[in-house]
Amino acid sequence: MSQERNTRRRILKGAVAASALTAVPFISARAQSKAIRIGIPTAITGGYALLGSQAQRTCRLVQKMVNAKGGVIGRPVEFLYQDTAGDPAAAVRKSQELVERDGCRILTGVIVSSEAAAMLPKLEEWNALFISHGNGDGRLTAELYVPRFFRANTSAPMGARALALYLRDTPQMKFMAIASDAAWGRSSNKAFEEQIKKVGKNLVDQVFAPVANKDYSPYITKIMQSGAEGCYVALQGDEARAFYSQAQQYKLPQRVQFYTEIVAQADIKVLGKDAIGLMGSSRYPITYDIPENKTFLEAFRKEHPNELPDWTDGEMYQALMILFAALEKAGSDEPMKIVAAMEDLEVTSVKGPVKMRKCDHQGENQGFVVKVGHNQRFSEPVGEIVKIYPREMTTPDCRSASYSS
Amino acid sequence: MNFASFILAQCLGALSQAAILFFIACGLTLIFGIMRIVNFAHGVIFMLGAYVGYTAALVSGSFFAALIAAPLVVGALGMAFERVFLRPLYGRRDGGAYLLVTFGLAVVLSELIRIIWGAQPKSLATPEALLGIVMILDQPFPVYRLFLIGLGLAAGIAVWQFLERTRAGLLIRAVSQNSEMVHALGTDVDLVRTAVFGFGCAMAALGGVLAAPLVTAFLGMGANVVIDAFVIVIIGGMGSFLGSIIGSVLVGFVQVFGAYYFQDLALALMYLLMLIVLVVRPGGLLGKEE
Repeated sequence: MSQERNTRRRILKGAVAASALTAVPFISARAQSKAIRIGIPTAITGGYALLGSQAQRTCRLVQKMVNAKGGVIGRPVEFLYQDTAGDPAAAVRKSQELVERDGCRILTGVIVSSEAAAMLPKLEEWNALFISHGNGDGRLTAELYVPRFFRANTSAPMGARALALYLRDTPQMKFMAIASDAAWGRSSNKAFEEQIKKVGKNLVDQVFAPVANKDYSPYITKIMQSGAEGCYVALQGDEARAFYSQAQQYKLPQRVQFYTEIVAQADIKVLGKDAIGLMGSSRYPITYDIPENKTFLEAFRKEHPNELPDWTDGEMYQALMILFAALEKAGSDEPMKIVAAMEDLEVTSVKGPVKMRKCDHQGENQGFVVKVGHNQRFSEPVGEIVKIYPREMTTPDCRSASYSS
Repeated sequence: MNFASFILAQCLGALSQAAILFFIACGLTLIFGIMRIVNFAHGVIFMLGAYVGYTAALVSGSFFAALIAAPLVVGALGMAFERVFLRPLYGRRDGGAYLLVTFGLAVVLSELIRIIWGAQPKSLATPEALLGIVMILDQPFPVYRLFLIGLGLAAGIAVWQFLERTRAGLLIRAVSQNSEMVHALGTDVDLVRTAVFGFGCAMAALGGVLAAPLVTAFLGMGANVVIDAFVIVIIGGMGSFLGSIIGSVLVGFVQVFGAYYFQDLALALMYLLMLIVLVVRPGGLLGKEE
């Protein structure tokens, strides 16, 4: 009986071993061809849907471009989308679904800084990596720093810094600031206040408009009262368009020059001729004449003949190029291996050279100051580059949103 | 800029804001007054008005044509919705059914708007005739905002007079007080309800078109304004038309002066006002306590 059992056990063991051995090459081959899944917890509905749709369209474009060339580390790339509607709680919930249900260990495409801030403490638990394409709040790579988070994009303090450097050389002395009373707006305004004082100019007043504010007449009156020659505008999307539309009705641009932290193509498109003359920092200068940007523009316009890429598209493209370079360097999609590969990685992207510095995972980006005007190459007004600042001048101190110099 | 001109400019700014709020709040309060329905889709209907207005202005080349077309189209859609989805529910006693149906309408409508017009915001330019500024004392003030004040005032008086002095207005008021009695007297109460729902939607749509040159037409534009409208209706008294006028003016002033003098409390002030009103008069300023 025991001999029989022994024989049966031996046969079973042999069968298991044999099946394991035959399965190894099969699993290995399957793993090789298995797509690299990237989770996009983004705003598909709600007030941020425009920014979310821009992130999605660039992901789809990149997926097409990269997979046509054989993918990354020999594997195709696949993007999975979830709607967060710009809500931090939903961002955490949807990201968790992407990680645990869909197996996405790489996350990007998050729209709102407060969503990103809510996700950071969960990254280790999820064994995931998050690369920001547009989250501007300076604190994300400063006091909120976590090792699994990288910011490929220009942050709010970096945008404000480039503008302040530009304003140093203008004759205007008195400035006013209006910012959105959100994490990004506060961060941007704080950086501008710090920088403008540093270059010897006077910030006479600053106001914070509630998120999704509709009526800017009290703030416009305040700007007129302040006697400022220039006004720093840290408003985005719907808020920015409402402010510029209403300021135009008050003929405010005839009295005060606007400088904005983000010049957005969507705003220019909607504002039309009212946007001409608007100056600001640009996170993605569409007119930047380098081969990398030409390649992107060509591919984008082939896919979307009637549209121009916005800053979100440019930043999304850059973040994905950096991610893919890190994947190739790591030779794996294991998050911690990508983290190691991404530290101090240098890539030339649509915005020129970018370095993902190791000390806080902030991408060192050049600073661009643009002025909206007509350009023969484009069907609608665009931001023309008036000054480029090297990345050493625009990137803040390590793990800080401030500048010591 | 002297103090008097500054205060005057702020008051006019507040009145122009109140005008926009009035268009959305008056529809909301009339619908509640007649049908006892809290229309959760009212903000999205306001947004639909802005988008329909954008298309109408694009096709006709006239902002003023949009001001007529959008309320007509949206009002007709509102009547159709009431006829198909709300009327079968009138016999039911649970208010939850209305809430779910109007909430469902809000979700479906906002997605339809996204599919039809896309995520890109739409610009409805201020018409040339209303583009200038006038100097009030030494303070520049946009003609468009004066137009809003004038239109809001005219609409408020017209609807008030209609409700008070016409037979149709009398019927509406009667239905709001005792619909069963009005029905027993031979009036088609369902028709009154359909007409009021359509009118409420048309007013919200008109507000949407008027707001578009100030904020552009964008997805989510109704989300915040509907909260303001609910606050106005609660302050003025649920179902009270005159209450919605007073509530709009109060909220407009609190928003504008609050934003100027109490930046950090600007949002809270409106709710504080509502709280005070509810403590002093639980039914709202002109509402009935139920």
